[in-house]
Amino acid sequence: MFGIDLNKIPDLFLFSPDDPLLFGSSLFLFLFFALLIFYRIFANNTNARNLVLITFSLYFYYMAGGLFVLLLILNAILNFYFGKWMGGTSDDGKKRNFLLLALLFNLGLLVYFKYSNFFIQLVNDISVGQLDLLDIILPLGISFYTFKSLSYILDIYLEAMNPTERFRDYFLFVVFFPNILAGPIDRAVKFLPQINKSYSLSRKEMAMGLMLIMMGLIKKIMIADYISLNFVDRVFDSPIRFTGVENLLAVYGYALQLYCDFSGYSDIAIGISLLLGFKLMENFNYPFKAKSISDFWRRWHISLSSWLLDYVFRPLQLSLRNWRKAGNITALVITFVLVGFWHGASWAFLIWGLLHGIYMAIGLLVQGPKRKFYNKYNLTNSKILGAVQIFITFNLVAFSFIFFRASSFEVALEVINQILFFFKPAVFIQFVEGFTPTFILLVLGFLFHFLPSSLNDKVTDVFSKMNIFVQAIIFTLVIWLVTQVLSADLQPFIYFQF
Amino acid sequence: MISDRLKKIICDELYLDPSTIEINNQTEAPEVPGWDSLNHANIIVAIEKDYGVRFKGLEILKCNNVGALQNLVNSKVSD
Repeated sequence: MFGIDLNKIPDLFLFSPDDPLLFGSSLFLFLFFALLIFYRIFANNTNARNLVLITFSLYFYYMAGGLFVLLLILNAILNFYFGKWMGGTSDDGKKRNFLLLALLFNLGLLVYFKYSNFFIQLVNDISVGQLDLLDIILPLGISFYTFKSLSYILDIYLEAMNPTERFRDYFLFVVFFPNILAGPIDRAVKFLPQINKSYSLSRKEMAMGLMLIMMGLIKKIMIADYISLNFVDRVFDSPIRFTGVENLLAVYGYALQLYCDFSGYSDIAIGISLLLGFKLMENFNYPFKAKSISDFWRRWHISLSSWLLDYVFRPLQLSLRNWRKAGNITALVITFVLVGFWHGASWAFLIWGLLHGIYMAIGLLVQGPKRKFYNKYNLTNSKILGAVQIFITFNLVAFSFIFFRASSFEVALEVINQILFFFKPAVFIQFVEGFTPTFILLVLGFLFHFLPSSLNDKVTDVFSKMNIFVQAIIFTLVIWLVTQVLSADLQPFIYFQF
Repeated sequence: MISDRLKKIICDELYLDPSTIEINNQTEAPEVPGWDSLNHANIIVAIEKDYGVRFKGLEILKCNNVGALQNLVNSKVSD
């Protein structure tokens, strides 16, 4: 009947570990547009609309992460009550105890799932004992939804917001499917007030939402997946088989890949939220245009860096403030080591985070002399200086990503060794000939990144003024184009593992 | 109202000329040139030193604008 295989229908409702439901899959796009239709039907009924959204979100998480959906529900229930109890007492001591309880629950689960084996391995390595590794599967998105929930708890503790009265609102905040798997780590204080607003979508917002989804798919599938499978992975698999110039291009390529993969994901998440009437926080702001490492962290994974700034760095810095500069530096290094550790329990991420902590500390130490030097030679607003700063910052960041990407510390050293001692610049021509599409994508990717951001606004503006059918045709064309490039299987988003 | 004394401490710490800077109750740190997360602790230390008071970390974290900071200073000075 109509060519539909009825036996396949149960597959739509059963989690399959080999084929999780992910953004970018055609099934997801189909289901999402079906959801949008329902959502619009119930546009004027807040209760029905939010019920549709919660149901779809739970279905989406179950299809992506299986029965861990129960853990997610438990997280939402307990944190709602922790928040309520904290807001309901004026006794500072009690408030503090509820905070500790909430931290113990949230961080306890995160540490158990994410770090148990790291610590067991550590115990074994330093031969204090001999323990068996645990057979643990990491619940999808746990690092993201734990931090989302903690922002609610911590903001109530810091009196930046009052707990919400409605369990439904808090539940929707936690399970909201667009950012459940890999962020942006939205703040409850910004998200909750949006839930009970009436749903209306201006043409401009619709155009922005569609543009973000299109850009996200292009970044992820046409750039990130392509250069990773065809070039970057090959070099990082065995760096010594390639010359230094190819290793360097792979390092730059990986910087672009990671950016396109993660910001592409964020664009899709922000775009689909916008179509559902929710504004999520920005996650990337042209990070490679940064003129210093601290500037980079105001532009890269903003939802995580601002989270750690507010809830880790600030309290640490204040408690160490009498150490003056040393206190600032200690707080910086600890915060960035935690940034690394948040990504995963491995020495590579720790080194990556530590490296950024050291960069930031050096930046702080040279801040004064640098300002004097720039003022003396009247360089503060110089364009050339700006370009040099961008170049240096980009290379420092790309260098740190070697440790982020390499499968082991030895591999990272091989990459660095090849670049320093086996550069062979003449091989560049062979690279361009041998990897022409990769080379073109690298150039285009960086070129688009460095175009003025106002251009993006102009394109969105033009798109928003188009006839809705023309918009639909362009959207379909982009999806078609993306599926043409789609390499065998959709590559999982890098940040899903964190 | 932000006292001239508090304003002067903030401006001195950030190398700003107080006559060119507008700071009122609603002003938030990022609106003042140079008042970033790294400088924040220095400004707090300068205020504590000048007024001879000591804040708790949590008290400062709860301040979301200069008005709140002024209130905190006032509450400590009048104690």
